[in-house]
Amino acid sequence: MPRSATSHSRRDALRLAGLGVAGLAGAGLAGCSRAPSTPSSNTTTSTGSGGGNKSKTFTMYWNPGHVYKAYEKVVKQFESDHGVTVNWQKYQWPDLQTKLQTDISAGTLPDLVEQPGGDTAISLALTGDLLALDPYIAKDGEKMGFPSDWQSASVRPWQHGGKTYGIQIHLTCIQLYYNKTMLHDAGVEPPSTWDELLDVGPKLTHANTYALALNQVASYSDPWFLQAGAHLYDADSKKVLTPRDKAMKALQFQHDLIYKHKFSPPPTASSDYEGPQKLLSAKRAAMILSGPWDILPIKQAGGVDLGLALPLKDAQRKTTLAGSGVVIPAKAPNPDLAWDLIKRMTALKVELAVTEEATQTMPRKSWGKQPQVKSNPVVNAIAQALPYGVDWAQELAPTGKLPQIDDAFNTLYQSVAISNADPATAMSKFDSAAAKVLG
Amino acid sequence: MTSLATARRTGLPTRGHNRRRTLAPYAFLAAPMAFFAVLFFYPLVQELITSFYTGPRADQFAGVSNFTRAFADANMRHSFVVTFEFAAGTLVFSILIGLVLAAMLNARLKGSVIFRGILLVPYLTSIAIVGLLWRNILDPQVGVLNRLLVAAHLPTQTWLNTSPVATIVFIAVWQQVGYTTLLFLAGMQGIPESYYEAAKVDGASPWQRFWRVTLPLLAPTTLFVSVIGVISSLQEFALPYLVTNGGPGDATSLYVFRLYDVAFTFRDFGYASALSYLMLIVILILSAIQLRIGRRDHGE
Repeated sequence: MPRSATSHSRRDALRLAGLGVAGLAGAGLAGCSRAPSTPSSNTTTSTGSGGGNKSKTFTMYWNPGHVYKAYEKVVKQFESDHGVTVNWQKYQWPDLQTKLQTDISAGTLPDLVEQPGGDTAISLALTGDLLALDPYIAKDGEKMGFPSDWQSASVRPWQHGGKTYGIQIHLTCIQLYYNKTMLHDAGVEPPSTWDELLDVGPKLTHANTYALALNQVASYSDPWFLQAGAHLYDADSKKVLTPRDKAMKALQFQHDLIYKHKFSPPPTASSDYEGPQKLLSAKRAAMILSGPWDILPIKQAGGVDLGLALPLKDAQRKTTLAGSGVVIPAKAPNPDLAWDLIKRMTALKVELAVTEEATQTMPRKSWGKQPQVKSNPVVNAIAQALPYGVDWAQELAPTGKLPQIDDAFNTLYQSVAISNADPATAMSKFDSAAAKVLG
Repeated sequence: MTSLATARRTGLPTRGHNRRRTLAPYAFLAAPMAFFAVLFFYPLVQELITSFYTGPRADQFAGVSNFTRAFADANMRHSFVVTFEFAAGTLVFSILIGLVLAAMLNARLKGSVIFRGILLVPYLTSIAIVGLLWRNILDPQVGVLNRLLVAAHLPTQTWLNTSPVATIVFIAVWQQVGYTTLLFLAGMQGIPESYYEAAKVDGASPWQRFWRVTLPLLAPTTLFVSVIGVISSLQEFALPYLVTNGGPGDATSLYVFRLYDVAFTFRDFGYASALSYLMLIVILILSAIQLRIGRRDHGE
């Protein structure tokens, strides 16, 4: 039945507008997380053993991979001592950051937040979203051993403008993980330098196996740049990936490993970082660059006699530090409680319990001297590598431009490693992208 | 006898009745309107206001600079182009494959009911599962597909690296084609049999019947599928997020994926809001064009 053109048009226009508006809302809200369902400041009825007692809710955001039994025990004691209910929310790193950004916009902040590194924390501190911990450190620092008992490389990344915004709770680094059996069968020792890597590469690369598997995540390539003698940013000259000849050497070397020597398969464009670990676990790669987060999956896969070697050396033996720390948002409802929980979680006995439970390595100097640390070959190997670790983004983080440069660096690395782009051309594109960001 | 009593006895509406009947629709509409006002319209207005501000807290007035900046932003231009490639590929293949499958199912073959059910499974599956499933299948080193190719003595492929946009188009089509098939099938089954009989009497071949009868009469369905398809494809976020993370480099950095980065990684909420509104304008224009073309072609 024909309808009047006018009514048809209006109805369609309304429908169209509705669809568009709903669509935009969908797009706009796609990445948004909800604000905390139980705002930290609220007084809620505890459903725990208190049975009907009013108790305060303490909210903390955590990486799900770091929810250890040792921490659960600490949290339980913390709840009991303070009469609070801990709302322990777990998110993968990107989701945690998204959630936190949303909370900052909404003004509904958690009490304690785990962060993947000082760089991300400083980005938040620059906008006044983190609490400076100096008054707490002045009061309790000596007793808890902070910063004197923390490795200095684990303290500096969390500092800006003379203030400390976070406390490192785990400290590790990227180093060489290898299949002892494959290297033994090939009659080679784990390489210590780039030249040695080039020597052992042909002996470990066969029809369906590779000497090394490089990761698609750009941050795994940082150690190569450091080893060549380059760094991400020079604050004095305001140059990125400098000295340029050394940065180019590192980029070209990685490209050659994949496309010239064919020691590594091209990494796969993917949203996860586990590709090399899967290849090592499947005995299709003899070596990978990784950290302790891959130890458990490799063990669970079974059949790989895992060895850890020091970071490689070219101009220098260096690698990037990894790990995590905790921060207190500036508008956290319970900052005093948050600080108390930080003290409990970073106690030496808790660190040792976490190490025993999960092979997690820690930032305390005294932790490295414990017999149980020295006697564990894997933990000891990581502890041996830690002194070579540096914070890759330390000089860039205070500019507030780290996320944008990271994005450009990711494009640079992936275009070279995955898409086989010419390193010089890719570097030139990176330069123009970086120039726009840094001005 | 009063008029009220008369009205009651005869069942005619009283003034009170009339008022209640007039207010009733508004009462029913109140709840959904409140829902939309709070959860859709308020955020949209807030987002529009935010689009005129800049800074990590979106608290510095920037005028229209966020909108003008978008046109000079090479990354956004790239994302816009990639998004259109994705939308065009997804739309064309979803319609073509959906039409073919619908025509086959319309032939009332044995087991077609089961096949219809199977076709819908990908559409009903969570996008998170679809993304992870295909990421694992397509992994060049440990993925199932390359293992099958090796077993068949065929060369292995690195689709996610060499043809990333085509690969996510394929995954999107795989997921959506069951839905478009069912829409086309419903459209085909609504075409009166007498039209085909008349065409047969006129000596039309099966192809001519499809081309001259089925396709023109499916125009409203095609219009619906294309409008909905364009709107959803231009807003695709989950596939690049789950499968390629926008890579390699920025090859699959679709518009909304990039927008998400601008907001939550770069903390530029004002610019991200402006980008959202620019996409809304593009979607409205494209949908209006599609509706106009559809109406003109089919004389409505």
